[in-house]
Amino acid sequence: MNVLFLTLFLACSGALLILNPEGFLSSLLDGTSKSATLCVALLASYTVWLGLMQVWEDSGVTRGVSRLIKPVTKRLFRTDDEKALKYISMNLSANMLGIGGAATPYGIRAAQALDKTKNAEFSSCMLFVVNATSVQILPTAVIGIRVALGSGNPTDIVLPTLIATAFSTGVGILLTFLFLRDKKRPTCVRHKKEKKGAGTK
Amino acid sequence: MNYFFALLIPLIFIVSFIFASFRKVKVYDSFVEGAKKAIPLIVSIFPYLATITMLSTLLEVSGLNALLIEWLSPVFAFFGVPTEIAPLILIKPLSGSGSIAMLSDILEKYGVDSYIARCACVAHGAAETVFYVGAVYFSGLKRKRLTAALCISLFAYLAAVVFGCAFCLIL
Repeated sequence: MNVLFLTLFLACSGALLILNPEGFLSSLLDGTSKSATLCVALLASYTVWLGLMQVWEDSGVTRGVSRLIKPVTKRLFRTDDEKALKYISMNLSANMLGIGGAATPYGIRAAQALDKTKNAEFSSCMLFVVNATSVQILPTAVIGIRVALGSGNPTDIVLPTLIATAFSTGVGILLTFLFLRDKKRPTCVRHKKEKKGAGTK
Repeated sequence: MNYFFALLIPLIFIVSFIFASFRKVKVYDSFVEGAKKAIPLIVSIFPYLATITMLSTLLEVSGLNALLIEWLSPVFAFFGVPTEIAPLILIKPLSGSGSIAMLSDILEKYGVDSYIARCACVAHGAAETVFYVGAVYFSGLKRKRLTAALCISLFAYLAAVVFGCAFCLIL
């Protein structure tokens, strides 16, 4: 990330140095002020969703959902951590329902919980890939725009979109397994046994 | 259809609260308890978010973004992706609101029901704003392989766009 940031930053600054040196600072400030506005909007939405999340947690909904899809999440993310699995399962369900606002706070807390576990490197990368390529069942915003512009059949993109997003998630998961898997602990079946022995690195 | 989905979110709240009160949860106390966590969460993600948005603004203002689009257009054409939607494909991983603006631009310009417009919609829905998700989720965590995960996500996204555009032809 550090290399990526530095390269892009220097390349952009270099271009601006020639084209428009006065615009440099103003575009930096413009960017950060945009993010400040975004954070205020996010704060409002997180407050609502984190409140609801707490109600779910206290009434046992979270635990129920987590238990239901645990067999899948456990293998996909290669972790046994109860807390992380709980957040992951809620993050996934919110993503699929298309409630991005609810998915994000769960995702952040899942990432924080995963950070303390053994397989963190792999698990958190998988969490990121799944979220970045998230399967959304209904692209509500796009349909909204199409309706507003008077489309003849605004929902005819739902199926191709669904296929494309499922495809991207599938490719993402596959590649993560291929490239980021820890070779010292190859299969999830042996995961438990090896946890005692070869736990170094 | 749209009406049904408008009902979904209020129903989720109502059902959750009623269910919670059946389980003898103090809904008000519980909600406040959860809401309390919002501020530390925002404080922890703000610096990362600010840096990423700063970089993406810089990318746009410097004209590097436009240059990149120009270079990449032949590549997109090779894979059967209409070059008209190339700017959308490149902005989508960086900015959610930017891509929405660009999408409605494309829809207006080429007609809502045209092939190009439908490809644009599919490209828009194929993945999330990858860099934003990265900035938010991994704020504060130091993961060496995050860059690799970022590349994987971007690759999966592009593959899905190519695939989705081909699918638009058939359907």
